Amino acid sequence: MFEGLRSRLQKIQGTLERSIQEAAPPANGEERPDADPGQRERNPTLLSKVKVLITDREFLISEKDVEGPLFELEMVLLENDVALPVTEEILQRVRDGLTGKHRKIGDSVEDIVISSLRDALLCVLGDGFDLLAYTRGHEKPVRILFTGVNGTGKTTTVAKVAHFLKKNGFSVVIGAGDTFRAGALEQIDVHAGRLGIKVIQHQPGADPSAVLFDAVEYARAHRIDVVLADTAGRFHNRANLMSQLEKIRRVMKPDLIVYVDEAVAGNDAVVRAQEFERTVGADAVVLTKADMDPKGGAAISIAHTIGKPVMFLGTGQGYDDVIPFSPVQVVDELLGVQA
Amino acid sequence: MLDRLGSSLKDALKKLAGRNVVDRAAVEELVRDLQRALIQSDVNVRLVMQLSQAIKTRAIEEQPPKGTNVREHVLRIVYQELVRLVGSAGEVKLEPQVILMAGLQGSGKTTTTAKLARYFQRKGLKAGVICADTFRPGAYHQLQTLCSRINISCYGDPEEKDALKIVKEGLSASSGTEVVIIDTQGRHALETELIQEIIDINAIARARHRWLVIDAALGQQAAEQARRFHEAIHIDGVIITKMDGTAKGGGALSAVAETGSGIVFIGAGETIEDLERFEPDGFISRLLGMGDLRALVERAGETISTGELDVNAMLRGKFTLRDMYKQLEALNRMGPLKQIMSMLPLGNIELPQDAYDITSTKMQRYRVIMDSMTATELDDPAVIGSSRIHRIAIGAGATMEEVRELLKYHKMMKRALKGVRGGPGKATMQRLMKKFGGA
Repeated sequence: MFEGLRSRLQKIQGTLERSIQEAAPPANGEERPDADPGQRERNPTLLSKVKVLITDREFLISEKDVEGPLFELEMVLLENDVALPVTEEILQRVRDGLTGKHRKIGDSVEDIVISSLRDALLCVLGDGFDLLAYTRGHEKPVRILFTGVNGTGKTTTVAKVAHFLKKNGFSVVIGAGDTFRAGALEQIDVHAGRLGIKVIQHQPGADPSAVLFDAVEYARAHRIDVVLADTAGRFHNRANLMSQLEKIRRVMKPDLIVYVDEAVAGNDAVVRAQEFERTVGADAVVLTKADMDPKGGAAISIAHTIGKPVMFLGTGQGYDDVIPFSPVQVVDELLGVQA
Repeated sequence: MLDRLGSSLKDALKKLAGRNVVDRAAVEELVRDLQRALIQSDVNVRLVMQLSQAIKTRAIEEQPPKGTNVREHVLRIVYQELVRLVGSAGEVKLEPQVILMAGLQGSGKTTTTAKLARYFQRKGLKAGVICADTFRPGAYHQLQTLCSRINISCYGDPEEKDALKIVKEGLSASSGTEVVIIDTQGRHALETELIQEIIDINAIARARHRWLVIDAALGQQAAEQARRFHEAIHIDGVIITKMDGTAKGGGALSAVAETGSGIVFIGAGETIEDLERFEPDGFISRLLGMGDLRALVERAGETISTGELDVNAMLRGKFTLRDMYKQLEALNRMGPLKQIMSMLPLGNIELPQDAYDITSTKMQRYRVIMDSMTATELDDPAVIGSSRIHRIAIGAGATMEEVRELLKYHKMMKRALKGVRGGPGKATMQRLMKKFGGA
């Protein structure tokens, strides 16, 4: 995943390193004692020599030194579908991280560049969310409610997460809270059957709150670790459906509300995430369909703009195609750092 | 967010109002706001750049038609270019045909398939659907349930894993139906096997139409996905779904541009009836987050035609009170100034409202006064002496001062027109029209 972005980012790293290297005085520091190209003098004066000595052979990375490569970085990010505001933020952070930094001549340029890029990306991606650790440390059953607009992949995600939890040794029950869409019950039934997971469901058209309440009761009675509550997709501008979700929340009292959206969504992703957050809240985010976007930029922007920790990335149609989202890992992979 | 964009666009348009020449800086500002609005609506960045370049060039190079002011001129260009970007509605013929649905996972193909069947059913055609989605659990059930509610036959087999076989059998089974719609599994451009599958389905089905279903929220990825689908099965129509959310559907425009087709339908709701034929104007309003651009442009168009007539009359060198009356009438036909202003994308905010009110009242008064004049007086204002003024004032319920003011206004117009005759014309003419409008 993210191959496109990765290779470009690694190239940028090289460029940045080179330009900082060039801006830096050579190792003996005598010919070009002043690193600032704005006042670069061909003939070093006594004063500048003294300056170098006084500053203990440090040099300042100025904005000009990194301007070219930063512009290139900007283009790379934009071309890879990272949204404009997010790109600007990344750039600002890299710029702040690099410029004005006193660097001792002995320091490795690579370290400086990588650490500032890494910091910038980590800052933008926010924290991850470790579901396994959360589940381990939480009173059972852990109730997780999945919400989102239509067609983002809630039901598939529920199946994938169930599979993921089961693989890691937790018992799971699914509450079929999508009683509205035709075929939704059959869909979750088939998934659960394949995975060997119990589904609690009522008839089509039943009150989802009641279904999910039953699912929680079932889990309590059978000492099951996690309840995954699927819900019908709904648009955030439908007051009635949103208040139904609100009721679900009151009735089943979820420990975690997971908001599901697709990585290929455009600008509306922010609008609806905010609206869901406002009405029912959201503790974590799952970004689905990340495999549709070979560049990975959309996932980065959405992860940033939604402002909630990203828990999983959905990357395909199989049950194993869900990867826990760890920003450190993603960033290290993008930058080619050996973690 | 949307409102803010709409209003910043309005602000930019407002800056153009009251200018005599198209100001490059103002146009650029307008274009920048337009770009921001469109990109926020997920329109492809490349398309936005093309559009803004076209607007910029046309706004500066093209001469505004007679009688339009700068704002109307630019507004019309913006509108025309947007219409070109959005494209016209894709063709739908009410005749026997096979339609193949394609799209990404979760874009709403199955729901739309049922809605389409309903659409053709309501138009009096016997419709049937084939569920070729052999992958997603519950897909057949979903389509089956939706179709049984509206008495549409649905062919499919949840046990069968071979989509091609289903399509083959389904087509022969539905020989009695006129419109056959084939629902397929969701797939994206990078899934090579699935793309091959839809190519094969298309070959077997020999579908009249291959429609691509696009989620209104789809972002910049839309172009790439549409391109691949187009390469595979030659898409000839786009359906936008989930327009009942807050998404603007700009991504679908990339699909239109990539496939060279048009938008056929818009899905906006969860019930089976919620499918509409595409209508460019409403879509544009939504993209930009501002009022009905077209109504505005059309109204401006109407005045131009009447305006032009008057201009000709005036250019003949005879400008009587009657001509002036005609002009005031033309302005009045567009409705009270205040209402016109509220219809303009300028909105009501921060406008020198008083100025407009005064002007429109004055115009009303002028017309009333002229109604009290005789035909001779209208044709030859020179005959109006103080006793006639007195009579007109009494007849119109106005003061003599007001009548004099009107005459002075007419004299001024006439003098200005003399200067125009044979001169370079347009620019002066425009200024004149503006003065005449009193703005």
